[in-house]
Amino acid sequence: MKKPMRDGMNDNMKDGLSADEFATMREQLRDAMPPLDELGIGAELRRDLWPDMRRRLEQPPVRVPWIDWALLATASAAAIFFPALIPALLYHF
Amino acid sequence: MNKHPLLRAYLAGIAVPTVFLLVVMANYTLVRYVYNVPIAIERVIVFPMAFVPNLWGLWNLLHTAFLARRFSLGLFGAVLPLLLAPLGYFVAHLLEFPIPHRVLDLAPIGLCIAMILYYLVWKYLVSFLNAELGVG
Repeated sequence: MKKPMRDGMNDNMKDGLSADEFATMREQLRDAMPPLDELGIGAELRRDLWPDMRRRLEQPPVRVPWIDWALLATASAAAIFFPALIPALLYHF
Repeated sequence: MNKHPLLRAYLAGIAVPTVFLLVVMANYTLVRYVYNVPIAIERVIVFPMAFVPNLWGLWNLLHTAFLARRFSLGLFGAVLPLLLAPLGYFVAHLLEFPIPHRVLDLAPIGLCIAMILYYLVWKYLVSFLNAELGVG
């Protein structure tokens, strides 16, 4: 049978955290999080992200040459005409 | 992103067959255990599960480390079936997996098709992953 909780603790539990442990944990949590002024609106980024964004926008879209379409069509046709090959091909992927 | 380029090349290489394997395994499980098709693929499943992704990773690592300036990634990837096909046959033979004669007769055509598919996958998918991970 479950024992009633006393002061937020069950009798089966060990001692709660001491004040020192709370302080240590608070410090560790504070160290793990960046200061609030860095997260606020208008805070400066550590580096400028715009050049990366611009580089990506300026990249030309991928163009597939006709020879690659022809190769894909050949592979598809082979799969249709020789279906016995499909398990062997799957085995090698 | 400048650290461990070879590790990133390996990870980019194993990504495609690892994801593809999930699809193959899901279909295989359905066929084998739902429709009770008597094909004991579990005997040779170690090959696509272990050999193939690792070889893809090592192949991409090799290309990044030594051959990136000499060969295009697509062409280099297209050569991989020449290594995988005999290895796959050897593993299947070693584990006494029955390969239908029809498949063996069509092996030359299958090898050409595998090289075409590998060329396309390496040229577009693996090179995309390499670019995303800053490899090369």
